[in-house]
Amino acid sequence: MKFSVNWLRELVDLPASVDDLAHLLTFAGVEIEGIERRGLNLDHVVVGQINASSQHPNADRLSVCEVDDGTNHKRQIVCGAKNYKVGDKIPVALPGAALPNGLKIKVSKLRGVESQGMLCSPVELGVSEESDGLLILAPDAEIGAPIGSLFPPDTILDVEITPNRSDLLSYVGLAREIGALTNKTARRPEIASPAVVRNESVQIAAPRECPFYSALRIENITVGPSPEWLRTKLESAGIRAINNIVDIANFVMLELGQPLHTFDADKLQGGIHVRLAAKDEKFLALDGRTYSLTPDNLMIADAARAVAIGGVMGGEDTGVTDATRNVLLESAYFLPSSIRRTARMLNLPSDASYRFERGVDPGMTLGASARAAQLIAELAGGKPATETVVAGEPPSAPADVTIRYRRCDQLLGVSVPHAEIERGLEGLGLTPVAKSADASTWKIPSYRSDLTREADLIEEVVRVHGIDKIPATMRSRFTPVSAADRDYDFETHLKERLSALGISEARTSTLIPRSSNSGAFRAAAHELRNPLSEDHVALRPSLLPGLLATLARNLRLGAASIRLFELGRIFAPQDGSEERRLALVFCGTVNAEPHWRANSKRALDLFDIKGALEAATGAPLSFRRANNDDLALAATIEIEGKSIGTIGQLNGKHAAEIGANAPVLIAEIQVSALQKAHTLRAAFSELDKFPAVTRDIAMLVPDELTHAEIFKVLQDSDEPLLERVELFDLFSGKDTETGDVARKSLAYTLTYRDKNRTLTNDEVTVAHAKIRERLQRELRVELRE
Amino acid sequence: MSHPLEELRDAALSEIAAAPNEQSLDAVRVRYLGRSGSISAWSDQMKSLGKEEKPVVGKLLNQARTAVTAALEESGTRLRDAQETAALANIDISLPGTPHELGSLHPLTQMLDRAIQIFRRMGFALADGPDIDTEWHCFDALNTPPDHPARNEQDTFYLPDGRLLRTHTSTVQIRAMQAAPPPIRVIAPGAAYRRDEVDATHSAQFHQIEGLYVDENVTAGDLKGTVEFFLKELLGSKTEIRFRPHFFPFTEPSLEVDVKSKALKSGEKWLELAGCGMVDPAVFQEINRARGDDAYDPEKYSGFAFGLGMDRLAMILFDIPDIRLFAQNDLRFLRQFA
Repeated sequence: MKFSVNWLRELVDLPASVDDLAHLLTFAGVEIEGIERRGLNLDHVVVGQINASSQHPNADRLSVCEVDDGTNHKRQIVCGAKNYKVGDKIPVALPGAALPNGLKIKVSKLRGVESQGMLCSPVELGVSEESDGLLILAPDAEIGAPIGSLFPPDTILDVEITPNRSDLLSYVGLAREIGALTNKTARRPEIASPAVVRNESVQIAAPRECPFYSALRIENITVGPSPEWLRTKLESAGIRAINNIVDIANFVMLELGQPLHTFDADKLQGGIHVRLAAKDEKFLALDGRTYSLTPDNLMIADAARAVAIGGVMGGEDTGVTDATRNVLLESAYFLPSSIRRTARMLNLPSDASYRFERGVDPGMTLGASARAAQLIAELAGGKPATETVVAGEPPSAPADVTIRYRRCDQLLGVSVPHAEIERGLEGLGLTPVAKSADASTWKIPSYRSDLTREADLIEEVVRVHGIDKIPATMRSRFTPVSAADRDYDFETHLKERLSALGISEARTSTLIPRSSNSGAFRAAAHELRNPLSEDHVALRPSLLPGLLATLARNLRLGAASIRLFELGRIFAPQDGSEERRLALVFCGTVNAEPHWRANSKRALDLFDIKGALEAATGAPLSFRRANNDDLALAATIEIEGKSIGTIGQLNGKHAAEIGANAPVLIAEIQVSALQKAHTLRAAFSELDKFPAVTRDIAMLVPDELTHAEIFKVLQDSDEPLLERVELFDLFSGKDTETGDVARKSLAYTLTYRDKNRTLTNDEVTVAHAKIRERLQRELRVELRE
Repeated sequence: MSHPLEELRDAALSEIAAAPNEQSLDAVRVRYLGRSGSISAWSDQMKSLGKEEKPVVGKLLNQARTAVTAALEESGTRLRDAQETAALANIDISLPGTPHELGSLHPLTQMLDRAIQIFRRMGFALADGPDIDTEWHCFDALNTPPDHPARNEQDTFYLPDGRLLRTHTSTVQIRAMQAAPPPIRVIAPGAAYRRDEVDATHSAQFHQIEGLYVDENVTAGDLKGTVEFFLKELLGSKTEIRFRPHFFPFTEPSLEVDVKSKALKSGEKWLELAGCGMVDPAVFQEINRARGDDAYDPEKYSGFAFGLGMDRLAMILFDIPDIRLFAQNDLRFLRQFA
């Protein structure tokens, strides 16, 4: 809420400076979000009147004015503006003035004519960003008066009021708080307590939603503009002045915190009925729109129809107009949750509903009505009825609350003197009901319904005592490792290995565009009920849509070699259950930048992403050919026969969508499965003492025979001396050998070693020959020499 | 008069000394020590020598062979060295080194990890909870019942089944307390969501670290000490820190934390970095109701909780001007943090 410091000062003595006030409030939990200084405070700038104007003898665009500055001296001032006429009142900067734009005024000659000052535009005074000439002042401005008198200085505080402190949503409330914090008494407008009567002209059929309602008839009003002081006050709070009746209602809301509503009494038929809306009841509101209501909404009705949505908005045909002669002034206490639900349902937030839903002071309902009536009488010549009609009862006063001093000290970690606690609470308007050595019990004022428990009072003690007086202490506790710790450590381990392999981490949004949109891996996803933008509609069922979008972005930006990974949560399309995944995308050349020794300009391919995955995870992964609609080449990733992920190359359609003209490789794998396969405890195995002997085997095989099949035969050979098998060459092509069967050539290095002695050549030859024979026998490969 | 073998030896040594390169050196070796070399020829003659002569010649032969072999080796090393030096003399060492591309960890990951490491030193274990959670975990259990002004459903993403995307990581406080009785000392890093227009400082998804400590006699002083220690470890020991009373439904008293540091680009400006407070007894009571026991007796236990915005912290620490850069993952951006 915006507060004018000038207005606040009328209600309480303020600290010496605005900065002191802002500091005071901020450290009492009332945050100042902005300080805006308004008005003019310029020395040597006064109101002047142009008595005469003539053409400058030496310059077409200039005039020479004779100006009355309130002294007997008639000033000659050269002026370039054209928007004035003789007799206009304008701001005159006298010699010695320093304008906000840095200009210092002195007597000078302009094209040969002396100028004894300057006539000012709004821009030159700093009151506007743009202007088309002099600032023409009101005809009744007093000649010679300081310009500041027309632009009185004020400071506007933008105050963040937390939801628990609805009592601060008024000038009287904030002044009371400032008084409590500075040990001063706040001043309040004098309000006579009104005479009340109960009769059938106000009836409440919804006592839960509207516990208390008051209506005061005021006759013979004259609707017209509000006086300057009232307009200034409203405008300082950012509320536009409309007419005296509406302005007074708004003024009282700002001053006392109680929203009011005024009906044109002559348009009401019969008495007021407070009731809930009928199902699908239609209502034409002040804003010209028709709302459809439910029995959740509170309505104010007359004998014939609804005339207002209670606490939220009045009706179109009972509002005050220029022709209104008699008004009915409503002041009521509505159930906060009811107003909140209605304002939200209808999307009709207003200054009134904002206050009602946070809870207004039930002790102020009648006072606000009386205050408004008094002002309407003063400013609109109205004649209030002698009695205010009321129905229902205001909510009962908040219950008393006890604070135990020991509990307070325990929670704060510092001992606050009892006297100080009591002084602080009394300052806030609480009154002691009972006191003992250990505790005190307090009556809570009607405007502090947020204080219901001991913890609430302790918080008040902290605010008043000062949080900075609580000493910071260091306190620790030994904590055993948790499952989340283990997860985090494993994820960190994976991420570090991936980045060590030259792969960069991306973190894409878990919210992705609608699943019906085209694109890879977008099939079925759990969608939000109330998305805000098309970009964030569904919960990602895979990390790949986000990573592929990231890939597309980087390709557009000209990246030549892209290797990205992401480790994060995905959401199952059926029930949104969460799972940790690791995904990789590769696209482009192996080398990011050209280099004089770069020996390969080849594009990244499936084996690059497969190798990276194997190296980073260190897990015993195996790969099985599979079909996937989004992939041209696809395999499932398995650990011990269990499928834990997918690897492959994007199909041409999706690659084109992304704008890739090199293969797009993807992999996605369950992190929990990797974690399960991972053992943090590395075990030592004895270092080899005796040299190894290597022999190569080269073979020609049919194209469809896989490496895995050959490898398995080699590994399963039961040859105790065989230590390792590595594929070191692969060539497939038509010209390998003549013949109609497509064949390929593979070459393996076999390493032989005995743990306990140096092998002889003959032993290796025998072992190697057995393996060669086994290959020929089992796979019918053609061995090459 | 010298023996012919000594003459042969001396001749070989001077030829070795004169050999200009490895080939001529090898030619010398072949001439003298090769299969039909002139020194080797004496070995063949040994058999035909007389009994007295044999040991004398044998000794001379050995000496000659040893001397020549040593000279060949020494000379060979010297020639190879010279050759290598000559070759390396022409290398342009200003050529760029072989590139080794490093991967990078996302700046948010780095930020989270720095924060987590500090909290771990302070004895906090990690805790975790789902992004999709219930209204009860996100609001009700945190003393924000329906129609509470702080329960901002407008800013909350809902799923069709009524569950929601957590609006803060405080949900993990609730889950941690449901799962185990006090003492509890955890931090929970994770994503949270806000249904809000996206701009330079707001995104639909953001990241927080939540902290919770419940034990006997935990005080507001402990809270201040914990938050201060963390921020000074993270931002430097000269960082100024101030606490302001504030309001959160689930803590009382509630505080906001501002920092100021000349080491940061913001310099003399106070930056709001965290919200914290003492756990509201109503939260303990709701946990007890859910647990069906009295494990979190508010008369016996007290606790503090805090929440830190990691995106904002990373932006401040790394001078990142726009929160959207985090989710865009431009490689040029990511590699700045390698």
